[in-house]
Amino acid sequence: MSKQYDVIVIGAGNGGLAAAATCARAGLSTLLLERHNIPGGSASSFVRGRFEFEPSLHELAGVGSPDKSGQIEDMFGRFEANVEFCQHDSTFRLVVPAKEGDTDTFVNENGVEVVVDARMPVGFEAFARKLDELVPGSYESCKEAFRLSDRMFKAFDCLEDLSKLPGSLKDVPNLLRMISHTMKDSLDALGMPKKAQDIFNTYWCYLGSPASQLDFLYYLAMVHSYIKDGTGIPKLRSHEMSLGIDEVIRRHGGDIWYNSEVTKVIVKDGKPAGVVINGNKEVYAKYFVCNSYPYAVFKDLFDAKDIPEKQLKMLNARKTACSLTTVYLGMNKTKEELGIKDYSVFIAPDSDSDKQYEAAQNFGSGFCIINCLNEIIPDCTPEGTSQLFLTTMTFGDVMKDVKPEDYKKFKTEVARDMIETCEKALNISIMPYIEEIEIALPPTFARYLNTPFGTPYGYMLEKWDSMIPRTVQYLQDQPFDNFFFCGASQERGDGYGCAYYTGEKAGGLVVNAMKKEGK
Amino acid sequence: MADLKTLKAREFLSMLPDRQERFNSAKAEFPTFSDNAAVLARALHPKRQYLKVAEVIERGEDCKSFVLVPDADKGTTALAYFGAGKYLTVFETIENMPVTRAYSISSSPKDALNGKYVLTIKLVEGGLVSRYILDTWTVGTSVEVSAPSGNFEYQPLRDAKKVICLAGGSGITPFLSMANAVADGDEDFEMTLLYGSRNADVILFREELDAVAAACDKVKIVHVLSDKGASKKLKGSESGFITAELIKKYAPADEEYSVFLCGPQQMYEFVDKELEKLNLPKKFIRHEMFGEFHNPSTQADYPAGVPETVKITVTIQDETTTVEGSSNDSVMQILEKNGISVPARCRSGECGFCHSHLLSGEIYVPAHLDYRRLADYKFGCIHPCCSFPLTDLVINVPVAK
Repeated sequence: MSKQYDVIVIGAGNGGLAAAATCARAGLSTLLLERHNIPGGSASSFVRGRFEFEPSLHELAGVGSPDKSGQIEDMFGRFEANVEFCQHDSTFRLVVPAKEGDTDTFVNENGVEVVVDARMPVGFEAFARKLDELVPGSYESCKEAFRLSDRMFKAFDCLEDLSKLPGSLKDVPNLLRMISHTMKDSLDALGMPKKAQDIFNTYWCYLGSPASQLDFLYYLAMVHSYIKDGTGIPKLRSHEMSLGIDEVIRRHGGDIWYNSEVTKVIVKDGKPAGVVINGNKEVYAKYFVCNSYPYAVFKDLFDAKDIPEKQLKMLNARKTACSLTTVYLGMNKTKEELGIKDYSVFIAPDSDSDKQYEAAQNFGSGFCIINCLNEIIPDCTPEGTSQLFLTTMTFGDVMKDVKPEDYKKFKTEVARDMIETCEKALNISIMPYIEEIEIALPPTFARYLNTPFGTPYGYMLEKWDSMIPRTVQYLQDQPFDNFFFCGASQERGDGYGCAYYTGEKAGGLVVNAMKKEGK
Repeated sequence: MADLKTLKAREFLSMLPDRQERFNSAKAEFPTFSDNAAVLARALHPKRQYLKVAEVIERGEDCKSFVLVPDADKGTTALAYFGAGKYLTVFETIENMPVTRAYSISSSPKDALNGKYVLTIKLVEGGLVSRYILDTWTVGTSVEVSAPSGNFEYQPLRDAKKVICLAGGSGITPFLSMANAVADGDEDFEMTLLYGSRNADVILFREELDAVAAACDKVKIVHVLSDKGASKKLKGSESGFITAELIKKYAPADEEYSVFLCGPQQMYEFVDKELEKLNLPKKFIRHEMFGEFHNPSTQADYPAGVPETVKITVTIQDETTTVEGSSNDSVMQILEKNGISVPARCRSGECGFCHSHLLSGEIYVPAHLDYRRLADYKFGCIHPCCSFPLTDLVINVPVAK
């Protein structure tokens, strides 16, 4: 007879790992299924020569509250997972090289003519002072934004715990304003000068929606954790976090099967009852948590008749978020020799996030983030070397005219353009010192993540489909009462911490439901 | 000072009903849209390719080329395109024993577009799979292979414009593909191939190499013949082995150049020492993997007192079995010899496709094949293809799809 589990978790991305760990720790019989041979989805690593790279961004910031260390570390603590983090105490540097016709330009420390060069520190006070130094008259509005973010977290608590409501009631109207208005409208209301807004909004691409579309509350929540608390990076790449949770699941009696792809969801009496693995093995469960993307799940795993109508409508109504292209470089020079002084530099063709968003609709936008992991973990590469990580974003079917036989050349030219963008903006030389290179374009992400256009970001956080409404309506948006989605396609969009959060929450829903049933 | 009060808090109230209304008014049919990223991902990385042998070409003693074409009856209608230098993993079953082997594609990328891969297979001394393939593959034989894999490719952003390729024996296969890719305009570099053989009579692909060198001035072929006097019988050939001196002779004097190597383990041991004399930056030296590693006890750092036979208790999904094997075999070989299929691609430590959990016991991994990730050491993860048991083991291995 086929085995019956309490819960089957489909996909061992961050969401699936957190969900399976939550269920296993609560004593539920748990099976985690993953089609790849290692856990983590984007939170993984790969080796080329003497370098080990992360497929995704290294830097982690949980949406933590001001008096706690941060959500991710809390979760690893709760799980008793054996993961070591390195602290990072700078934020970002934004460099906007001057274009022809730009006025108000200056030559920066690298000898490049720029419109903006903002290297921003950690800490609210330091950040606001620096912003004011760059754009005089922005201090008060910046501090007010940070004050709001602090109070927001207190008000946030009352959403989860109504007993705290009276004390925070006066903050609620502002909370509602921030939920229902964009970054742009809100910063305008706070009277922040436009140029300061542009610098303040630099992290928009981490959530994938520009200032005219993203709600102020969610952006502030993210900025709060990046700027107030700084960030952390796993000492041994993200593979350490993923294997760390893998170990927690096993320690608590959970099963994890790799290379085990769910090829069908078995539906009985109108709801999921089991899954078929690799087309040849059936396993059953009462509950399901799904870390795979709704589009792929309904396209490949369900018979058309079993897909709830609302799910089809949701697939049509929502907009796929951005895709990423990343270039991983193992360098045979140190960061000092290369002249790199920052962990993360955002190079943009324009300081305005909406203009960056418009430019990033296709390749060659001049938008590129360059990260140097050695800045935080000096010994993450052998002596005398360093590693760089270049990222750009695109939207939609940007690969549309590329044939398989042209792909390698196309990929090389995209990478060349990104490397040259960084070389020019920082006036440094990268190309001659490349010892190892790997390039991931949307097809690479599509291959590993199985998402439309290879997006790692889920659905775009548009104004009408923003984080709080998604969170409030989470249960009514799920396809069945025993099948819960988690991961980037859900409430919080992309981000390691967001995926962990949604996974832990979905796992918690299963645990509670099983408790009610008397387990 | 300014605050948010000018914004209407009321707007929040309509957000929740509006969102559901957006969903309600959307179409209730499965969305269709063009997504070439997904199309490319599938075309370049099919899970399996089902092929059949269309032609067998004898290549002298114990060596044959197999022309493979798509087997439409089994669902493969086109071959995955590839960058010259990649390999295919062949899946075979020999007397109920599931086995895999990685072979470089010797045909050109352009041939793949025209529905043809060529694998050229030479008998490995004592090699079970090569023997089986040479003996049993004939026209019409069904063959199952992976997507093209591996990292032994020319990379214009990393490699020098001039490349000295060093081949030994059947290590010529990826270079023939690269030479043709250069001639076809699919790769853009200048290639000088120093190809080591015993004598002119046993040179693999001699005609094909001559043809591509004649047709394309970016490809130059130099045969290096080791039998005494052999080079006298072949015009333009060199005598002896591939030494630093010889590389220098053909390398550009005042320009950067890359060195690509593909050949047997013994060739690497010799040539790597020669390359040290040239003091090239690491980035300019690229090795293809040389296939399965044998006889770990020959390694200097292999511990003493290892028992001859070991027991491995292996869990795959919900099935646990205990098998016995020789400590001279890799964990992967032991499992396969006991009829247990293991996920495998490169069989050389590098690709990590066989990534597994070691729950108890000790293993030996030759340092030059240890491509594990840092966290793998912390959490006891291994690559069974290049892990040799030193004690009884308990392991958890993913299922082979």
